[in-house]
Amino acid sequence: MRIGVFICHCGSNIAGTVDCARVASLAASFPDVVYATDPMYTCAEPGQAAIEAAIREHRLDGVVVASCSPRMHEPTFRRTVERAGLNRYMFEMANIREHVSWIGKDVEANTNKAAELVSMAVAKLRHNRALHAASFDVCKRTLIIGGGVAGIQAALDCAEGGIPVVMVEREPTIGGKMAKLDKTFPTVDCSACILGPKMVDVAQHPNITLHASAEVEDISGYVGNFTVTIRKKATYVDWSKCTGCGECMEKCPSRKTPDPFNEYMGTTTAISIPFPQAIPKKASINPQFCKMLTAGKCGACARACPSGAIVYDMQDELITEKVGAIVAATGYDLVDWTTYEEYGGGRYPDVITSLQYERMLSASGPTGGHIRRPSNGEEPKTVVFVQCVGSRDRSAGRPGCSGFCCMYTAKQAVLTKDHLPDSQSYVFYMDVRANGKLYDEFQRRAVEEYGTEYIRGRVSRIYPDADGRLVVCGADTLLGQAVEVTADLVVLAVGVEASHGAARLAEKLRISYDQQGFFMESHVKLKPVETNTAGVYLAGVCQGVKDIPASVAQGSAAAAKVLALLSRDKLQGDPQVSQVDVKRCVACGKCLRTCPFGAIEMVSFRGQDKAHVIETACQGCGICTSTCPQGAIQLSHFTDNQILAEVNALCQR
Amino acid sequence: MSALAGKELRIIGFLCNWCSYGGADTAGVARATQPTDLRIVRVPCSGRVDPLFVVRALLNGADGVLVSGCHPGDCHYAAGNYYARRRLEILRQFLPVLGIDPRRFEYTWISASEGQRWQAAVTEFTRQIHSLGPAPKLEDAEPLVRVADMALTALRPLGTGRNAALDELKAAIKAKLPELDCVIGWKQGYDAAHAAPLFMRTEADVDQLIWGPLNVSNPATYLPSLKGKKVGIVVKGCDSRSVVELLQEGLIRREDLTVFSMPCEGTLDMARVQQELGSYRHIDSVERDEAGVTITADGQPHRFCMVEYAQGKCYGCTTPGAVLADVRLGTPTPVTPAEATPPELALLDGMSLGERFSFWKTQMERCIRCGACRNACPMCVCRDYCVSESRDPHWLTQEDKPTEKLFFQAIHALHLAGRCTGCGECQRACPVGIPILALRQHISRAVSQTFDGYRPGMNTGATPPLLGYAVEEKSIHEREWK
Repeated sequence: MRIGVFICHCGSNIAGTVDCARVASLAASFPDVVYATDPMYTCAEPGQAAIEAAIREHRLDGVVVASCSPRMHEPTFRRTVERAGLNRYMFEMANIREHVSWIGKDVEANTNKAAELVSMAVAKLRHNRALHAASFDVCKRTLIIGGGVAGIQAALDCAEGGIPVVMVEREPTIGGKMAKLDKTFPTVDCSACILGPKMVDVAQHPNITLHASAEVEDISGYVGNFTVTIRKKATYVDWSKCTGCGECMEKCPSRKTPDPFNEYMGTTTAISIPFPQAIPKKASINPQFCKMLTAGKCGACARACPSGAIVYDMQDELITEKVGAIVAATGYDLVDWTTYEEYGGGRYPDVITSLQYERMLSASGPTGGHIRRPSNGEEPKTVVFVQCVGSRDRSAGRPGCSGFCCMYTAKQAVLTKDHLPDSQSYVFYMDVRANGKLYDEFQRRAVEEYGTEYIRGRVSRIYPDADGRLVVCGADTLLGQAVEVTADLVVLAVGVEASHGAARLAEKLRISYDQQGFFMESHVKLKPVETNTAGVYLAGVCQGVKDIPASVAQGSAAAAKVLALLSRDKLQGDPQVSQVDVKRCVACGKCLRTCPFGAIEMVSFRGQDKAHVIETACQGCGICTSTCPQGAIQLSHFTDNQILAEVNALCQR
Repeated sequence: MSALAGKELRIIGFLCNWCSYGGADTAGVARATQPTDLRIVRVPCSGRVDPLFVVRALLNGADGVLVSGCHPGDCHYAAGNYYARRRLEILRQFLPVLGIDPRRFEYTWISASEGQRWQAAVTEFTRQIHSLGPAPKLEDAEPLVRVADMALTALRPLGTGRNAALDELKAAIKAKLPELDCVIGWKQGYDAAHAAPLFMRTEADVDQLIWGPLNVSNPATYLPSLKGKKVGIVVKGCDSRSVVELLQEGLIRREDLTVFSMPCEGTLDMARVQQELGSYRHIDSVERDEAGVTITADGQPHRFCMVEYAQGKCYGCTTPGAVLADVRLGTPTPVTPAEATPPELALLDGMSLGERFSFWKTQMERCIRCGACRNACPMCVCRDYCVSESRDPHWLTQEDKPTEKLFFQAIHALHLAGRCTGCGECQRACPVGIPILALRQHISRAVSQTFDGYRPGMNTGATPPLLGYAVEEKSIHEREWK
C-alpha cells in the first residue's frame, strides 16, 4: 500500500504546540508511508489541491490527514480523496488539534502524541477497504413534532414547498406557548392576532395532516425511510363529528376542572375546547373530572351535542405514518419554581408566574383581561417582577440564561401601566439583556415612559404582612443597600427547561440532549438545525432558549433542510454497515438477539442457516461485531482488525 | 511504540463517536488542559468495544484503559451502551483473576456537551494510573507454583452409582431408538479404567452403555454439530445444564432432542486417578463398592474413595439430577444448596494480584496450545472458526508467549461469560493439567453476583445476561467522575 500523510499546521492552532515538521518526518518512517508533509492549512483550497496532486504524483492509495476532529472535516477530506480517484473510505484522520494541541502546551509530549495518533491512523488505514454506498428511495413526507410557532412555521414552509406534512401535537390544540401570550415584545402586537392566521393555515393546508392530542410512540427506520407510530389519545369526542359549537361546555356540570391552558389560573369544564381560537376547534373530555367516566352517570354532554360526537368508551388509537424526515419542535416548559421556598414555594396566591400573568392580561383569559389579585380579586396597586427565578442560578443547577424574560417583563410592566394607570411596577433584575432588534429601545420606554422602577439585585425573601400584602426583600446592589417593597402582586420570571418528556423523545429519535434537556444540535455554530441523526432536524426552544422571531427563523431553517433533503429522489446509504462472513457464521443467532434495529435476519444459504444484514436497516453501531464469538460479523470500517491495528500500534511488545 | 520515557504512561481510551468523542472535542475547543498520556480510539458506539480489546491492550503493555460512551438512555444506537455497561462491568470484575489491577480499567459515560466532565475524567484517570505506576509485564513475573487444595466436603454423599437403574435405562433407550438418529452416552474406553463417548445407533450399541464415576466427559459437547438430527442424549446433572444452555441460545432444537437422565453420584478426577495409577501395562479389574472404586492395575490394587477423588466440581454440585429430561430413572439425593467456592477458584482467591500474575505466567509456560480446552467445551460452537486461529479477525498471533496463551484463555472465558455452566471439561481435557476452570468459575461468580444469582443452564426460557440488558441495572453502580 502507498500511504500519504499530511500534518496540518492549522495556522498556529496546531503548529503552536506541535512540531508538525517533526511529526511528518517521523510519519515518513511508518509502514507503507511513501509521502509525508506538513501543509499550513490542509482544509483550505490549496491544501486540498495539494492532497489531490500528491495522490496523483505519488500514486497514493490511502491518505491520512492529521488535523482537527474528524467530526469537523472528515467529510471534507473524504470528498477530496474522492476527487483524486480514491475511494472515500481509503482515508483516515488523526485528531491532533482538539485532542492534542489545544489541551496542553508541552511541545515534546504533544509532538510525540501527535506522531502516535498518526501511527494509529496509518495502522488502521492499512486495513481499510473501499466501501461503496447503495442508494435507496426516499419517502417524500415529513413529520413535525410539536405545534408551537416553530413547528407551525416549519410545517407551513414544508407544505408550501410541496412536501406533505404530518404534525403531531401533544395538547388538544396547536399554538404552543405563543397562543397563551397576550401581547408580544417589542411591538406590543396581539399574540393571538398574529399567530391565529398561521394556525388556521395549518388546519386548512391540503399538504398538512394534523394529529392533536397525540404523541409519538415509536420511531424506527432511518433517514428517508422513518416509520413513526403515533398514539392518538382518547378524547372521548369523535372529532370527525364535533363542530366546535361549545354546547357541551354549556351543559357540563363538572365546572371545577383545572384549566391547563390558563396555567391553572381558573377552572373549566370536564369537556372543553381550550380557547376560542383553538386549532383544531374540537372538544375533548378530561377523564379524571368527567362524571360519566368517573362515576358512570351524567351524560349531559352527549345529550347536548347536536352532532352526536360524544364517545364515552373511546380508546387510544395507534396509527403508523411513513416519513422521510423529522423536525422536532417540542418547545419548553417552565422549571418547577415551587422549590424556591424563599418565594413562598407556591403557598402565596398572589405570587404567580409570568405565564400566569400573561393569561391574566389576555382578554380570553380567566379574568377577561383584568389584572386581579388571585387572593381577593382586587386590583393591585404595586406589582413586583422578580427576574431569573430558575435561571442563571448555579446553586439550583441551572446556570443558563432563559433569554427572553428580560424583554417580556418589560412588556408586562408596560401592559400593567396600560391596564392600571395608577399602579407602580418594580423589577428586580440581575442584568437587562435586550440584545434583539428594537429590544433595548423598548426596555428603555418601559423605564422612561412607563415609570417602571428597575432595582438591580436578587430577591432574598417574600413573605406576607398582616394586611395580606407581600413584602419583597432584596438588595439593591447599585446602591449597596437592602430594599423592601410591599407588593400586591408578585410576578416571577420563571426560567425555562426542555419540554417534559423531551428526554424520552430524544431516545426515540436517537439524538442527544444536554443537562437542561435541550436537544443537541450537530454543531453549535455551523449546524444549529441538524442533529447527529441524519434526517432529524430541530426548530425552536427544544434546541435552546430563543424568542419568537428566532423560533420562527429556525422553523423555516428546518423546513429548508427538509426540502433540500427530500428534493432528492434517492439517497446514498452509509456503507459502514455490518457484513457477515458466511464461512465463519455458525448461525448461533447472538447478533440477531442483540441488534437494536432488527437489522439482522437468518437466511438459508446453500442449505445452511446464516445471519444476513439488512443493509438499509443497519445503523452501524457494531454491537453485533462485539457479540459474535467467532468474529463472523464485522462492522465495515470498524472491523476487529482495524481496531486491533490501532491498539497494536500503541501496545506491541 | 513505547510511552514517552519518564513522562507518560500508556493509556488508551475507547470513545464512542457520538457522545464521548464529541465531549473530548468540546474539551479541546474549550482549551481544557489535560494530561497527554491518553490516546483515543474512536469507535461508533461503546457497544462496539469488545472487552477483549481492553484485555489485549492491558496484556500487551497498556498501563490503563478507559472506555467512555453516551449516558445510559442517550445512546445514538438506542441500546449500545446498555449492552456495553453489562459487558464492561463483567470485564472489570474479571481482570483481577488474571492478576491485572482492576483500577487500570474504567468505563464511564460522557456526553458531547460535557467537555469539563471529560477533562475531569481524563485527569483523574491519568492520575490514578500514574499512582499505580507502569503495569507489570507478564514476561517479567517471577515463577510461582501452587496447587488447589482438594480436601473438600461434598454438599451431598458421593457414591459410585452402583445401584443405578442401568438396565431400565438401556430398555428406555432401546424403546426410543427407532425414532432417533442416534443416542449419545458412554462406553468403556481403551481399558476398563476409562470411559469413552458412545454413539448408539443399534440395540447392540446400547448394550455397550456404562454408568458410573468414570463417565466424566460431557456428551452435550456433541449436540451442536448434530443440529437438525433427531438425537438422544444420556446426561448427568451437570451435562443437563449444558443441554439447557444450548437450548437457551437456540444452538439446538428441543423438538429434535430426547434427554435420558439418571441421578449422578459423582465422577472421578481422572487426572489424580492417573497420577495414582502411574504408568501401567494392564488393568486387571475395576470394582465398585458403596464409597469408591478399586482399580487393580498390573496386579496392584488402588482404591479411589469418592470423597477424596471426585472432580472438584462434584463437591459443590447442586444438580445431581438433570435440570431437564424426557426420561428420568431413579431419584437423586436431595442437596441443600450452600455457598461453596470451587477448589480451583479458592486457590486463586487466596492469592494477591501479583501472585496471580506469576501463577498464570508459570502455568501458561506449560500450555502447548493444543486447543483441547476449547474442543471439549460444549459452549464453544465456533469449532473450525475459532477467532484464535484466524487472520481475519486476527486476535492472536502464533507466537509461543505466555501473553498470547493467557489472552486465549481470556478470550475463552469472556466468550463464556454468562454462558459457562461450570462443567469443567476445559480443565479436564487439558493434557498438562492447568487449572483454567478457575477463570470461568470466577467470571460465573461475577455474573451471578451482578445479575441476581443468575446461573446459566437452569431455565430454557432465560436470556443469557450478556445478550440482554436492563435500563436500570440493580447491581451495577458506575463510578461518578467529579
